[in-house]
Amino acid sequence: MLSRVAERVYWLGRFMERAENTARLILVRHNAALDLPREVQPSWMLLLQVLGAEEAFARLPGAATEKNIISFVFGEKENPSSIISSLTCARENMRTTREILPSETWERVNSLYLSVARRSNKDLPQGMRHAVLNNIVQSCQQVTGLLAGSMNQDAAYQFIRLGRNLERADMSTRIIDAASAGLMGNVDETSPFRNVLWISVLQSLSAYQMYRLNVRRSVDREGVLAFLFQSTVFPRAVAHSLQQIESSMKLLPEHKSTLAVAAGLRRQLRDTDFSALEGEALHTYIDRLQLQLVDVHNAIAVGWFAHESS
Amino acid sequence: MAQPRIRSPKPYTRARPRATIDWTHYDPGEFYDEIISAPGRARPATRSLAAFMRKQTIKHLISRQQAADLAIQEMGITFTVYSEGQNIDRSWPMDIIPRIISLKEWQVLERGLVQRLTALNLFIDDLYNRQKILKDRVMPREIIDSSPEFLRQCVGARPRHGVWSHVCGSDLVRDSDGTVYVLEDNLRVPSGVSYMLENRAISKRVLPQLFERNSILPVADYPSQLFDMLTSLSPRRIAHPEIVVMTPGIYNSAYFEHAYLAQRMGAELVEGADLVVGSDDKVYMKTIRGLSRVDVIYRRINDDYLDPEVFRPESALGTPGLFRAWRKGNVGLANAPGAGVADDKVIYTYVPAIIKYYLGEDPIIPNVPSFLCVDPVQCKHVLKNLANMVVKPANESGGYGMLIGPAASKKELATFAEMIKKNPRNYMAQPALKLSTAPTLCGNNIEPRHLDLRPFILQGKKHYVTPGGLTRVALRKGSLVVNSSQGGGSKDTWIVDTEAN
Repeated sequence: MLSRVAERVYWLGRFMERAENTARLILVRHNAALDLPREVQPSWMLLLQVLGAEEAFARLPGAATEKNIISFVFGEKENPSSIISSLTCARENMRTTREILPSETWERVNSLYLSVARRSNKDLPQGMRHAVLNNIVQSCQQVTGLLAGSMNQDAAYQFIRLGRNLERADMSTRIIDAASAGLMGNVDETSPFRNVLWISVLQSLSAYQMYRLNVRRSVDREGVLAFLFQSTVFPRAVAHSLQQIESSMKLLPEHKSTLAVAAGLRRQLRDTDFSALEGEALHTYIDRLQLQLVDVHNAIAVGWFAHESS
Repeated sequence: MAQPRIRSPKPYTRARPRATIDWTHYDPGEFYDEIISAPGRARPATRSLAAFMRKQTIKHLISRQQAADLAIQEMGITFTVYSEGQNIDRSWPMDIIPRIISLKEWQVLERGLVQRLTALNLFIDDLYNRQKILKDRVMPREIIDSSPEFLRQCVGARPRHGVWSHVCGSDLVRDSDGTVYVLEDNLRVPSGVSYMLENRAISKRVLPQLFERNSILPVADYPSQLFDMLTSLSPRRIAHPEIVVMTPGIYNSAYFEHAYLAQRMGAELVEGADLVVGSDDKVYMKTIRGLSRVDVIYRRINDDYLDPEVFRPESALGTPGLFRAWRKGNVGLANAPGAGVADDKVIYTYVPAIIKYYLGEDPIIPNVPSFLCVDPVQCKHVLKNLANMVVKPANESGGYGMLIGPAASKKELATFAEMIKKNPRNYMAQPALKLSTAPTLCGNNIEPRHLDLRPFILQGKKHYVTPGGLTRVALRKGSLVVNSSQGGGSKDTWIVDTEAN
């Protein structure tokens, strides 16, 4: 398999996952806003923090209103982490790798892109948000399902899976980070809304029901952190994503050094005591974790995508 | 509760004959028509088609055309028009009424095409080596000296089998008296073969009845013929040499074809950056297992962009060192760099002499009479008769930069005359041919439209000619421009064996 093709399908996996997660994020933020009284409402700026898009937003005209931020995250082409940008990149990567993917996948991705592109320069009014965003999440899942159900589980498939899981792990850390730092800022320990906020963190990762089933205890900080970082059964937990990454790597040629990086990170995550990490310490930990995920990406790139001329 | 509504009884209708296709109303006028020889009369090879259509209603044909259009969209058969910018996917326009050539006529054309390519390859090999043809003064040296397509870097190179142009697409046209001429040769990176293959796949899908009744030569063999030809260029004598198709990328107008051929041959589709030339002057591709040796490159990228070390230094599409690897005989390149010297439109006028010189034969397919503007006498003739001429720049393809005298305005004629006077070497002119026509579905009618034919000829160790080729048709009434980039369409082309029927 050509390295370039491997790299493109890897990024296809990443961008599809990014589009899906971003849609989930807006959706949950939108739902949470409906549950909470105005004084404890977290700022919409938080959405930009999670996506690391504050600077890009500040560069464009327009105040940080709910309407502007949603448009920016949904359909702004100047914002590299908007849904439209992710889908554009996913589609571009797919265009040149169509030969090796099931043809229905291209049709799904293309029609999803077109449906979002048509809306991209309009506002997303409250009444439409659920339908539009949910359609994005569902279409992305459909693509994942199509690939799982109709594609040879060969090297190309493993690269898509690597991209998807690495992106998922990264996004999970971002959501937890923003939640624990920003979200809690204006709600004190005893507030009755605190629980609601942790629930919304779980929800933004589609983790609430699975948490209940798996953890069997009330929703609290320690329980949520352990579940989202360390669970090996919940697909959006960081540890689970790393486990998936390792299993994909083992199916690829020349994987020794890349696998070592991923396995090292998973072991370190497993041995971390999250109840001991409070406030700033947690933030520092997550920062480092994100850099370590970048290390995993670099190991993949060096191992399979980049070649020095002989 | 509402009562059921009263239905009117079925109106009585007299059985009316359905309006079917009537060939007596089809009139190609002064042009030679490929299907109908005189109003109401079909040519021998096309009788079965004409009879079939006589029983069809136009409505039925339109529905078949729609089925074809839909299939083309679904199969994602596309091409790009450069001026469209962002719009990459444009469905390929195909008219469902096939163009038919009798096997007997085709066998002559086939021999003529092989003759032509054989001579042209001998000519290119001679130009880059001994230059006998120039020393014997069959061709003036100035023509080669002033040709931008003559690559000095290729002098002395000896590609395998002495072949430089391995894949050639020659454009054939038929004049009003029925004579078939070679209009031009495309010896560099001719495209269109994938559309030929897809057209056949579509017409088998929408008109299966006709394939039962006719003995039509199959075309589906092309990718494996191409693969075998490429294999014969491998520098390593191994059972499975690594063959790749090299594309400039998704923004090239023929990207669809590059991907299509790679897929059909089971070859990797590579871009310049996927390849690397090692210090051993061998070519490798970058795979997830590391570097892997490449033996033959079917390159669909122009000479200019092939290797930034030798040609355009700013080219990001090519691979540095590729030319060096080819010169050392470590990789086969199809087509070889420098092959374009022989499809210069000025060299074209010498092809009959080239055939005579190298093969001692008369050309089987004639050239269109041509006038070289570099010759003052001929140039004068061209300028005087500009309104009846087709003028072509020597080194453009795709129908860009052409003047079609009969269709041009006074102002366009004047501007072109100035351009010719300024740079006569760059132009060649031919009398505007009365291109043949074939019945084409245009809206709700069947009308004659002008067409040409591009067969594809392969030469490696052996020769191969596609049975038929790509018929391109000018969809606008009266237009002679068949290029898809200029609003042309296509037809499936059938070589029909009438004796087998």
